[in-house]
Amino acid sequence: MSKKILLLSSVIFLSSCAATSISELGDKFLDLINPSDTPTEVTDLGEEVFVAYDDSAGFTFEELEALSNDELIEIAKEKGLEDILKIDADGNLQNRDEIIIALLEAEALLDNVTQELQSLSNDALIERAEEKGMDSVVVSGELKSLSNDELIEIAKAKGLEDTLVLDADGNLLNRDEVIQALTDNLIILDEDGNIQNKDEVIEALREGAEETKLAALLLKNAGITSTLYFSYDDSEIDEVATRIIIEHANFMQSNPSFNLRLEGHADERGTREYNLALGENRALNVKEVLGLYNLEDRIVVVSYGEEQPVLTGSNEEAWEKNRRVEFSYY
Amino acid sequence: MKYIKFFILFGILASFSANALLEVNIIKSKEDSFPIVIAPFEMIGNFQEDVDLSKIIRENLNRSGQFDAKSTNQLTTGPIDFDFYLKHKKDAIVFGKIRQISSNVNHAEIYIYDVLTQKPLYVNKLAFTNGALRRTAHALSDVIYYALLGQKGSFNTRLSFVTVNNNKNNGKRTYRLKISDWDGKNEQTIIKSPYPILSPAWSADQRKIAYVSFKNNRSDVFVKYVFQETLPQKLPKFDGIASSPTWHPDGKNIALTLSKNGNKDIYLYNFESQKLKRLTTNIAIDTEANFSPNGKSIAFTSNRTGQVQVYIKNLKSGKISRATFEGRYNAKPVYSPDGKDLALIHRVGKDYRLALLDIASRDLTILTQNKSDESPYFSPNGGMIIYSTNRDNKGILSIISLHNNQTVELMQKEGEVREPSWSNYSN
Repeated sequence: MSKKILLLSSVIFLSSCAATSISELGDKFLDLINPSDTPTEVTDLGEEVFVAYDDSAGFTFEELEALSNDELIEIAKEKGLEDILKIDADGNLQNRDEIIIALLEAEALLDNVTQELQSLSNDALIERAEEKGMDSVVVSGELKSLSNDELIEIAKAKGLEDTLVLDADGNLLNRDEVIQALTDNLIILDEDGNIQNKDEVIEALREGAEETKLAALLLKNAGITSTLYFSYDDSEIDEVATRIIIEHANFMQSNPSFNLRLEGHADERGTREYNLALGENRALNVKEVLGLYNLEDRIVVVSYGEEQPVLTGSNEEAWEKNRRVEFSYY
Repeated sequence: MKYIKFFILFGILASFSANALLEVNIIKSKEDSFPIVIAPFEMIGNFQEDVDLSKIIRENLNRSGQFDAKSTNQLTTGPIDFDFYLKHKKDAIVFGKIRQISSNVNHAEIYIYDVLTQKPLYVNKLAFTNGALRRTAHALSDVIYYALLGQKGSFNTRLSFVTVNNNKNNGKRTYRLKISDWDGKNEQTIIKSPYPILSPAWSADQRKIAYVSFKNNRSDVFVKYVFQETLPQKLPKFDGIASSPTWHPDGKNIALTLSKNGNKDIYLYNFESQKLKRLTTNIAIDTEANFSPNGKSIAFTSNRTGQVQVYIKNLKSGKISRATFEGRYNAKPVYSPDGKDLALIHRVGKDYRLALLDIASRDLTILTQNKSDESPYFSPNGGMIIYSTNRDNKGILSIISLHNNQTVELMQKEGEVREPSWSNYSN
């Protein structure tokens, strides 16, 4: 039954594309139903779809999004996720996005991110970790081989002094804990620049990477744009921008696990420090609108001023694209 | 000992490369310049460095816009052929010798003669550390400048600036905070980072540089002891952006822009008490502060009237007055060393150009024809302004002589140079 709904909606979608020829329509039609299958397998709509979903590669986000609510409910039950299903009295699924995320997390996405991180070279992993704000420290030998004073010095220098428990004479009382905290929070490099704590670094990167990837997919699928543009030396939120911000407010409300980083940018004209302030004002004005939905606690605002242009070049086209606020979920 | 160990442990990125990357391009102006001759210096002793002192001195004096200094092959011993120099319309002749008197000390003898009167204008013997011949040449340039013009030179000084290089393979940028001698030579990297670096500023004692780094994915202000192997020190964490650091002349205070609850104002941070004092309170953007040389006022950029303009706050009376009235965009003011002028960026049509404002008369003089000038800074004698601009879509530094508008351009073969700041006189 559910297959028919999918089929029907596809036909409606395709018939709305006036320029599509019959033969093209046929091909697209098949793609829509089951992107990975050969046409012959589609003839029996009863089973194949589910076979495809059970593919060892797991679901892709697009595949899950293409499913009806009823299908999602069925798969969720199969995967042992019935506890988180929210179904109203009429049997309609209330938390579709949440279920899709849970399914992706249960399967492919998790593996993908970990695999992707593990396949990175030493230097690429360091770079990725540093991009995420992880600090590095070069240690000759292992952390364990360092003296207490050296551990204290590193913890202090790297903003981890809160983890230190010292007695009145300044002696370290929780050596093992501090070593653990340093291992979890820092990139520990040996003298040749190799990461000593690869597993911990990957673990630290994994969560954020998953959330960011998921959010981007969800937004893309919902057709919500992640960039707002502004006029020259202006941080006003116009009507178009307000509509987009409201879409993000709704998105945040239906996805409470995501936090938002608003990045303000400016074009190259004018002085750098003024542009840094201007970029922050742009992002702050977006935050103010989201604040109407009581979302401010989940939002951080940063400004890059004119330092991170999307387009380089000194022309109106580049300037327009660079005066912006980017929504980045994590 | 502890510092050294710390340094190795954390591997600070302070590579001291001997290669001078900066190239120099001079847009000459012979107008109104003092014709002199700098003869080759006689070198007595065993010198490790291969440095042509008289060439460095000539280049310094010529780049200031004040001199037209030429060399000569005439020996510096024996009687001076004044008629020869008179015939070639030279006003003064400079010669001297460097004598190594111990492994640590050189003596420099310097003679400056007036060609017309054939009388010595200046004769002196000065002691310098051995192994710093380039610095000796800069110091002697200052001596000659003062002897002939009665004004201090700005040669024995340093620049700081930021370079940006794009890796063509992966598109990543590398930012470097660098220092060099005023002529772009003796370049050294102080900080290297994949994150943007902004607004380096020398402290008056030129031991420290304050700058903005995005290393924590947001703008923070750091202070680095330039010649010490210590980590940069981050100023205490504040809400929102921290940016635009500028030193009080006393070196104990720094003004910076903080965004508290989103409102960007200028604050004074005292390193001893570690306390903040708010200097501006307007709801608009207040940023890009710069102290007057006596420390009694700040000039800053604000959009409080809806336009970007420059204001001056008298720190004693608390009075804020608008300084710029010409045009709709004036920003990034810096005081001249005598405190009478501001160099700033002024918008003309679509272009942003370096301009000089006489604070008392409000007269504004536009100094360039460029499209996007930024970050002006005076030489410590006030005779030149360094600023960044674009040449063929590339960021370069430009030094303009206020004497005759002669321009010296400093650029990298690859990548951009930007955000210059000029140190005080070297010790």
